[in-house]
Amino acid sequence: MEVSFAITGKGYVILAADQNAARSIIKMKADEDKIKALGSHLLMAYSGEPGDTVQFAEYVERNLRLQQMRNNHPLRPQAAASWVRRSIADSLRSRSPYAVNILLGGYDMANKQAKLYWMDYLGTQVDVPFAAHGYGSYFALSLLDREVQKRLVISFPSFKVKVVDEGGVREVELDMTV
Amino acid sequence: MARRYDSRTTIFSPEGRLYQIEYAMEAISHAGTVLGVLASDGVVLAAEKKVTGKLLDLSVTKDGGYGGSGEKIYLLTDNVVVGVAGLTADANSLVNYARTAAQRHLFTFNEDIPVEQLAQRLCDLKQGYTQYGGLRPFGVSLLYAGWDPYYQFQLYLSDPSGNYSGWKATCIGANNGTAQSLLKQEYKEDIKVEDAIGLVMKVMSKTMDSTTLGSEKLEFATLTLDPTTKKPKAKIYRPAEVDALLQKHDLGKKEDTEMKTS
Amino acid sequence: MNAIASRFRASPYHEQGVEQDQNAQDSVLWGSQGGFGNLRAGAPPEFVVPNVPSPTAFLQLHTDDHADPNCRIKIAHGTTTLAFRFRGGIIVAVDSRATAGSYIASGTVKKVIEINKFLLGTMAGGAADCQYWETYLGIQCRLHELRNRERISVAAASKYLSNLVYSYKGMGLSMGTMICGWDKTGPALFYVDSDGTRLKGDVFSVGSGSTFAYGVLDQGYHWELSDEDAQELGRRSIYAAGHRDAFSGNTINLYHVRETGWEFIGNYDVTKMHYDGPGNIPGAPVGGYGYDARVSTV
Repeated sequence: MEVSFAITGKGYVILAADQNAARSIIKMKADEDKIKALGSHLLMAYSGEPGDTVQFAEYVERNLRLQQMRNNHPLRPQAAASWVRRSIADSLRSRSPYAVNILLGGYDMANKQAKLYWMDYLGTQVDVPFAAHGYGSYFALSLLDREVQKRLVISFPSFKVKVVDEGGVREVELDMTV
Repeated sequence: MARRYDSRTTIFSPEGRLYQIEYAMEAISHAGTVLGVLASDGVVLAAEKKVTGKLLDLSVTKDGGYGGSGEKIYLLTDNVVVGVAGLTADANSLVNYARTAAQRHLFTFNEDIPVEQLAQRLCDLKQGYTQYGGLRPFGVSLLYAGWDPYYQFQLYLSDPSGNYSGWKATCIGANNGTAQSLLKQEYKEDIKVEDAIGLVMKVMSKTMDSTTLGSEKLEFATLTLDPTTKKPKAKIYRPAEVDALLQKHDLGKKEDTEMKTS
Repeated sequence: MNAIASRFRASPYHEQGVEQDQNAQDSVLWGSQGGFGNLRAGAPPEFVVPNVPSPTAFLQLHTDDHADPNCRIKIAHGTTTLAFRFRGGIIVAVDSRATAGSYIASGTVKKVIEINKFLLGTMAGGAADCQYWETYLGIQCRLHELRNRERISVAAASKYLSNLVYSYKGMGLSMGTMICGWDKTGPALFYVDSDGTRLKGDVFSVGSGSTFAYGVLDQGYHWELSDEDAQELGRRSIYAAGHRDAFSGNTINLYHVRETGWEFIGNYDVTKMHYDGPGNIPGAPVGGYGYDARVSTV
């Protein structure tokens, strides 16, 4: 029962993910960070099969870091997304696939554009203006509707929220009391 | 003395040299000249063809393919054109490798391969052949003219040792010393493609042995950005276009001396 | 020669694999790493897996007593273990019951594994899995100490274990463990399980009785707890689970991890706790944890 959201705006992407780590009916942790900064201008929110999520996220993190070290510049969001998608698709056809859903948001320094990619564990990739994974996605289409928070049946106590824009990635505090 | 140290590429001579690589470089300095100039809005490549002759059948290259007569200048991918100097057979193998590498990058990242990465790929291969026993190094130097969104227009040179470097203007093959000093004198910062073409033509005409230039001795290519799509556009000139260009720059054959064809 | 040349002419598939391990592989081939290039330095061990198409299905066939109650191997699942971080270090408390189905196989199981003087691991799920791999972890921690001239951090040790069990994911390992210790950063606590999950946290409880333990633990937990109160909270929480969970009980083992290493506090009989309590121990109430409360009319 995880949820993650992302919205793009002019020159930025915001990602938000719940902070729970649960095992069956027990919530074992309430302050888990499920959004990784993959570079100065790239963020990835991940959810899915326990164990796979962190392993895959770290796998992506290190490979993109390696790319950056070898080529002296980070991959553009579009290329990074393609690489991540390819990794998921290849793993899906292996003996032990990663069952991980991804939201990848980045700011493309080459053409000054914010980009958001929605990916699921089957290797589907879409370029979207806003996106969600988990039960939250059933409300995502009305995400811009101010009422959405009140209608959200599965309400989480807190969200980790991160923004990426021209200035890079940063975390923001979300006031949930409104 | 050298005899003992040049039968294998993996062995240094007592003076710390790798003879096979030096021989490969030597072979290239006798090959047809290839010249590249980086402009602010494009890159220009020109190459001297060595295999010529009245009986050579060039009918396929007149208007087939993507242009060029296919001896010295090749299109590697949408955003990179390459000029080769050295053993043509080795070059073919490298060109094939480079094209595969470029497509593989496109497959994995869904973007054109950055120019430097493509040069790196080839250099990794070339370097490997200077180190492993029983292999002969590639007798080829290449000039890469390319564009990518990371560093825009670029010009790289790579040699048989697996070294590569970026240039504003450079030259490989026969008379490359003369050409390079000419380029050093004539090159201006912020040169435009139009002027770069002129510069390349001028230097080419001075370095090549033949008195007159013609499409049977010259290959020519430019890489620019398409003004509407903003995507890189490689143009490898067809023989007729090369001749037209030469005429325009007053370097072509005079009407009366022109070879009688067909 | 073709073999050598083909290393450079990587196929598309090979190329993708290369991204991750090119350097490791090449340095072995070139015999670098100071001449020890062919030794598997620090790599996880090869472990024999049933030679069947799907080890998971194989294991399920022989161990899943939901599907087949007569299956040969029964894996002990009932347990209560807990650990929490507080000002004075880490309290680790566990029960000692081992069950196989409805049968109590043992009442004196040591569910705290003493990895070394500064590290403890708890046992929930498959007893053999926990025992084997946490002992193995102990070996690796010692090797780390010898190689690097300093103790391994709790974060690194738990990551090692989590990577290890993750490499066997889907093959039937069953572990839910807490790695507790004191390192340069102070007291550190990580939850690691056989899914590959690894969580850093302050309060964890694992096993069939964990819900009951959490109930007591959460209401009594505070960072500023005194050592005595913290120990009492751990004891009281396991008691609660031992009392309510059929698969937990017998005795409580209590440990306290401090800067100087861990200390075994004591072993307590759950039934005795119910009627008489732990006795005259600082932090503990007078009288039994449960019996008096239920029968006294005051």
